[in-house]
Amino acid sequence: MSRALVLASVVALLMVSSSSVANPGGNGDSDRDYTCGGSCHGDPSMSLPSDGTISISQEGDVFAGHAVAVHVNVAGMSLSGNRLLGTFILGSIDGNSDHPEDHGWHVIQDPNGGSSNYVETVVPSSGSVTLTWVLLAPQESGVHNLFAQTHHGSEPNYEGIAYMGVSRGYSIDVMPVPEGLPGLSSDWTAPAYRTSGNDDPLRIGTVNTTSVSVQWMLEGEWSPHDAEVSSQCQEMEVCNSWEAQLPSTMGDTRIQYQITVLNGSFSMDLPWLTMGTGPAPFEGDIWDARVQSFAFACLVLSFIVSLQVRLSPRDGKDELDQTQEVIDSEGEAPPPPPGMEEGPQADDEEYWSRLVHSEDNPGWLWDPVEEEWVADPNFQGGEQ
Amino acid sequence: MFGADTFHTAMAEIVVGTMVLATVCAVGCASIRYIPVSEDRRESLMVTMDKASIAGATMALIFMPIAIMSGNFAAENTVGNALLYNKFVYSGLALGFWAAFVVGRIRMGPGIWEVRPLGLLQSATAVTAFLMTTMASSIGGKLVRGESLFDVMPIWFPSDSAVVLPLWASAALLVVGLASLVVVFKVGPRTERISQD
Repeated sequence: MSRALVLASVVALLMVSSSSVANPGGNGDSDRDYTCGGSCHGDPSMSLPSDGTISISQEGDVFAGHAVAVHVNVAGMSLSGNRLLGTFILGSIDGNSDHPEDHGWHVIQDPNGGSSNYVETVVPSSGSVTLTWVLLAPQESGVHNLFAQTHHGSEPNYEGIAYMGVSRGYSIDVMPVPEGLPGLSSDWTAPAYRTSGNDDPLRIGTVNTTSVSVQWMLEGEWSPHDAEVSSQCQEMEVCNSWEAQLPSTMGDTRIQYQITVLNGSFSMDLPWLTMGTGPAPFEGDIWDARVQSFAFACLVLSFIVSLQVRLSPRDGKDELDQTQEVIDSEGEAPPPPPGMEEGPQADDEEYWSRLVHSEDNPGWLWDPVEEEWVADPNFQGGEQ
Repeated sequence: MFGADTFHTAMAEIVVGTMVLATVCAVGCASIRYIPVSEDRRESLMVTMDKASIAGATMALIFMPIAIMSGNFAAENTVGNALLYNKFVYSGLALGFWAAFVVGRIRMGPGIWEVRPLGLLQSATAVTAFLMTTMASSIGGKLVRGESLFDVMPIWFPSDSAVVLPLWASAALLVVGLASLVVVFKVGPRTERISQD
């Protein structure tokens, strides 16, 4: 019976662990190559092609080194219980050096506000999701390809199959830059978030820019507001360092903003960017933690040890209380004084009846048989 | 060579493993009087579990400071979030509880299990210490892998937010704690080994 119980417990534990293999909760946004470096999704023995459709789109002309919004729409795929979808944007599908940065692109912002080429998102109940990457186009003009790849699961998924989909190459014709065309600096990346309550100005790096305007709105709003923009250059016509004053945000608020760069007759409306609100930086210090930890250890130790002392059977004994010693020594009690020995009742009565009171010696009785004085037990300070 | 985080993981596994042994045996010692076994077998079991619990707890107590120090190095002596801060705090609590368990058993001897309230206190101390240790270890799993065995259990102590005391307050607490130790061990009433007669 007990062996069966142990066996059942072990099997139950193994079953619990088997339900948490791989990464059903995702791996988090990051920079990854095609198939995620040989993950389950890329392993032919553990994966199947995705049943979803992937399409890539982009609007307007694309100039070398200038911002472009690339939209990836994924729809119709089966999903696991948590409806998590991992989506890549890639410059190639070779399995290495596939990041768009390896092909001349620069990620200004990913769909989650960061700057990764792989993002995870929860697909809404419609089963379709559109993800937008804001990229800086390569400096070399010509046709450049972008690919999109998806990773997802299914429900139910008894065999633990990982699904993978990949799009065909999407060609983008990158045109030469007209002279003096303003744009974003290639070394500028949109910040993913600001800490809660932080109202520091947003720094913007540009090229060929004489003027910048910024509009912002909170996520969910429809009408944008103008932000105050200041130049970091003094008395220069072309300035490439700017600061925009965006309001501070709290909680989970996300703020969207659009930068418009100008240079003479050129005016470029850049794609809308998003900035989330991060938690305030943690204020704890290593020494705070060490001292607090050691203090708790001392307090707990002293408290438990004092409880042990309190509950100990040796504890709480009054030094003046000799009851136990008296009880322990009862077996060795000295014999009663002569005349006080316990005897039969009849002997007592006979003994006491022969004693004679004496007015000369109050408190004492005369024993004529033994010829001795005996203390009178009934004597009470002169009053019998 | 290996990194501080690998060494820390190994030390933490030793601590948790020996503490599982100590906790199970401590609970067994406190509850053996309710288990229907023969008197001889009960006495034999009692002796075995008592020795196993004190051996496990002592070994864990030796390895715990090593685990804590290697954790310090693994974290590169920085505390950047509430989880890591709470890992320190839970480690301190676990150290205090385990030290109390070992001190109680050494000072009072195996007869500690014969006194019912003391036996219950001793086993409760072991269980609480084990929970604190497990919590500290689970936070490590959360930090490194993003998941922990506690995710599938109904118990999860608060760890996402931390009560950060200012250094002066922690130092004051430490002084109070050290003074309490002096009072308990030097000034307060002494305890004696409990006879098993």
